[in-house]
Amino acid sequence: MSLLRPLLVRSLTMVGVFFVVLIMLVLTLGLTGFSDRILAATIGEQLRGERTALAETIRDPDEMEKVLEKRREELEIFYGLSTPWYYRLPRTALRVLTLDLGEARTLRSFDGSNRVFDIVTERVPNSMLLLTTSLIITAAIGIIGGAYLATRQGSWLDRFVSGFAAVSFAVPTWWIGILLILILSIQLRILPSGGMYSTPPPTQPLARFFDLVSHALLPVITLVLVSFGPSIYSIRTITLNIAQEDHVKIARAKGLPESRVRLRHILRVAAPPIVTGLMFGLAGSLSGSILVETVFNWQGMGRLYYDALAGTPDENVIVALTFIFTLMYVVIRIVLEALYVFLDPRVRYTD
Amino acid sequence: MSMASALRELLRSGPGFGGAGLMCLLILVALYVLLAFPLDFGESQWSNPVVWVDNPKAVPPTWTNALRREALPLHRVFEGTEPHTVQMARSGPVHSWRFPLTYASSHPPTFLAVTLADVKYAERPPLVLISLKRPDGKQLRIYRHAVRGPREDESGPFQRYAQTPLRVQLSTDEATVTAAQNFLADEFDLRLNGAQIGGRVDRILFGVPAGDSDEAFAPLTGDYEIIVQAALRAEGDSVGKVRFVVGGAVFGLMGTDSLGRDLARGLLFGLPVALFIGVIAAFMSTAIGTTLGIASGYLGGRADITIQRISDIVANVPVLPLLIFMLFIIGPSLWIIIFILVAFGWPGLTIQIRSMVLHMRTNQLIEAIQSLGASRRRVMFRHILPQITPYVLAQLIFAAPSAILAEAGLSFLGLGDPSIPTWGQILETGFRTGGIYVGYWWWIVPPGLCIVLTALTFMLLALGIEPIVNPRLRQPAS
Repeated sequence: MSLLRPLLVRSLTMVGVFFVVLIMLVLTLGLTGFSDRILAATIGEQLRGERTALAETIRDPDEMEKVLEKRREELEIFYGLSTPWYYRLPRTALRVLTLDLGEARTLRSFDGSNRVFDIVTERVPNSMLLLTTSLIITAAIGIIGGAYLATRQGSWLDRFVSGFAAVSFAVPTWWIGILLILILSIQLRILPSGGMYSTPPPTQPLARFFDLVSHALLPVITLVLVSFGPSIYSIRTITLNIAQEDHVKIARAKGLPESRVRLRHILRVAAPPIVTGLMFGLAGSLSGSILVETVFNWQGMGRLYYDALAGTPDENVIVALTFIFTLMYVVIRIVLEALYVFLDPRVRYTD
Repeated sequence: MSMASALRELLRSGPGFGGAGLMCLLILVALYVLLAFPLDFGESQWSNPVVWVDNPKAVPPTWTNALRREALPLHRVFEGTEPHTVQMARSGPVHSWRFPLTYASSHPPTFLAVTLADVKYAERPPLVLISLKRPDGKQLRIYRHAVRGPREDESGPFQRYAQTPLRVQLSTDEATVTAAQNFLADEFDLRLNGAQIGGRVDRILFGVPAGDSDEAFAPLTGDYEIIVQAALRAEGDSVGKVRFVVGGAVFGLMGTDSLGRDLARGLLFGLPVALFIGVIAAFMSTAIGTTLGIASGYLGGRADITIQRISDIVANVPVLPLLIFMLFIIGPSLWIIIFILVAFGWPGLTIQIRSMVLHMRTNQLIEAIQSLGASRRRVMFRHILPQITPYVLAQLIFAAPSAILAEAGLSFLGLGDPSIPTWGQILETGFRTGGIYVGYWWWIVPPGLCIVLTALTFMLLALGIEPIVNPRLRQPAS
C-alpha cells in the first residue's frame, strides 16, 4: 500500500509529461496550418495521379474538371481535410497512440519498407545499444571514482575532478565527437569515422561483432568523456555527505571493517540519490544521442532525425520520432522511478 | 554583504577572477562587433556569395605558415583607383597601374582574378590589357578585354560595370590559357595542348618548365610585376577601379570555408549572438522560475500544489526532440529557440526557490511584516525577493551556458536561424559539406572552442559567485 502510492504519483507525472508533449504536437501541427498543408499536398498528388489515369477514358476537358472536383471533395472527406484540425488531429493523435504511424515519403527501412513504424523501430535497438553501453560505463566510472574521491577530499585529484566536471558542462558533446573523428580517424586513422559496420560488413558473426565494436568505440568514448566528470563529482558529493552522518560514525565506532562500512552504511544509503542522478543523466544523453549519432552516422533514432530533416523533410517520420522518443523516455523514467521507490525505503513514508 | 565586498570576494577566488576577466573580454569584443559590423551582417554579407568571391576557398589561417616547412603563398589583393602613370599615345591616353609582387612561396597561387569597375567613356570603348612581368625578365600579356561598345539605342557618355563589376577568373579564362600556351611555345619552346594546361595556368605563369617532363614546372620565386593598362580613346574617359587578386593558399586570422567566407568575421559575429541567446534565455527562465517559486512557497495551498505539479511535468519533458519538432514545423527562428528554452527552462529553479521560501515564511521578520498588514504581493516582492536575489543571480549565470549549447546543437542539426550566423551554423556547414573528413580543422575546431570558452566563462563566474551567495557553502570556510 505504502509502496503503491508514491509509485502511482510518479508514474502519473510521467504520463502527464507524455500527454503534455502530445498536446503540444497536436497544437503546433494544427495552429500553424501545417497539418492542412500536408493533407492538401497529399490530395493534390493523388489527384495528379488519377488525372493521367482518367485522361484515357475522359476526353472532354470540362467533364474532366468536374470529375476531378468531385473526386477532390471525396478525398477531402476521406482524409478529413473538410473537418477543422481540432476535430481531426485528436483522432490522429489517438491513432498514433496505437502506434499506427503512417507512411514515410522518401525514407525507407533497411529492408525497404516505407511504414514509419518499421523505419523507427528498427533504429531503437541501435540507439539503445549506444546509450546503455555509455551509461553503464559512465555509471561504473562514476561510482568507483566517486567512492574513491570521497576518501581523498581536498586532494589535487579531487580539485581537478571538480574543475573537470565544471568544464564538461560547458562542452558540446557532439563537438567532442567531431574532434575525436578529426584526430583519431582522419589524422591518425586508428578508428572508423562513422557508420555501424564496414562496407561490406563481415559475414562471420565474430568478425561482425568486432567490426561493430570498433565502430561503436568513438561514439561511446565521446558520450563517456563528456559525462564521466560530472558523474564522478556528483557521486563523490553524495557519498561525502552521507559519510559525515552520524550512523556512519556509529558504524565505525562499533569497529565494523571499513569495507563493510563503505558498502553497507555509505553506498547503500547513497544508492537512491545516485540512481536519481543517473536518471537525469539518461535524460541528457537521450537528447545528446541525437547529435552524437548524427556526427558518427550511427544508424539510430538520432541519425534518423537528421536524415528526416535534411533535404526534402519527411514530416511523418519527424512526428513519429518525436512521439516515440517521448514514449521511450517516459517508459524508461517510469521503470527507473519504480526502481527508486524500491531502493529508497524513505520515499514510502514521506510522500 | 555590500556589493563592493562581494565583488572583492568574487575576484579573490580563482574561478571568480578567471570568469570575471573572461567576461569583461567577451563583452568588449562583443561591443566592438556591434559597432563594427552591420546588424544585418548575416543577410547582407555572410550569406551573400558576392562578398567572398575574391577569397580563396577552404584555406587555413595565415599563421599556420609558421608551423610549415614550406610556406604556402599568401593571399594578395591589389586595388587601384587613380592610375599610377598616364601616358599619351596616338590613340588616346593610356592609364596604367603597376602592382609589384614579391613571390616567395614554392607553391603557385591558387587562382588569379581581375575585377574592373566603373568604366566611363565618351564615344569609343577603352581596351584593357594586363601583363605579367616575371623575375626572369620575361613578360607576357595574360588578359585583354575590349569594353563593350555603345548599343544602338544608347547615347553617350557611356557607363559600364557600374552596378555589377566585371570579374574574370584568369586561371580558367580561355584567353589566358591561350596566352600561357603561346608563352611556353615562344620562350621555352615547349608545346602543350589546352588540356595539358587547363587548371595549371597559375603554375605555368609563376614557374619555369622543370625539364624532366613536359608537364612539370618548378616554381619561380622573386619580384613580379602586374601591369594593368587601359587604353582610353578620349580625354576624360576612365576606368574607375581595377582589382587584381593573387589567390593564396592561406588566409586571414582564421582561414576560409568552402565558399571563401572569412571565418574570423563569422566567428566574431557569433559572439554577441551567443551572449544574447545565453543572457536572454537565462534571464527570462530565471524570472519565471523565481516568480513561480516564490508564489508557490509563500501562497501555499492550491496554488502551491498546482505549480508543483506543473513544474514536475515540465521539468521532465525531453526538450531537444520537442525543439527539433517545433522548429521544423514553425520554421527556424532564433526567437522560437529562445521561447522554447525559456518555456521548459524554469521548473528546476521553481522547485529550489519554493523550498527556500518555505523556510523563510516561518521567519519572524516576515511574520512581523504580515501582522503589520502588508499585502501578499508586497511581502513576496519587497521582502522575500531581495533575500533570495543573490542566489537567483548565481542561478541566472548558471542557466546561460545551457541555452548557448542548446542553440549550437540545434544549429548543428541544420535548424539554425539562416539570417543570423552562429558558431553552431559554421560547424554545421563544415560538417555537412564534408569539411571534417578532409581535415579542415580550422573550420571545425575554432567555432567549438568559441562555444566552450563562452559557456565556460559563465560557468566560472557562477562557480565564483556561488560560495558568496550561498551561505550554506560559505560556512565551512569561516
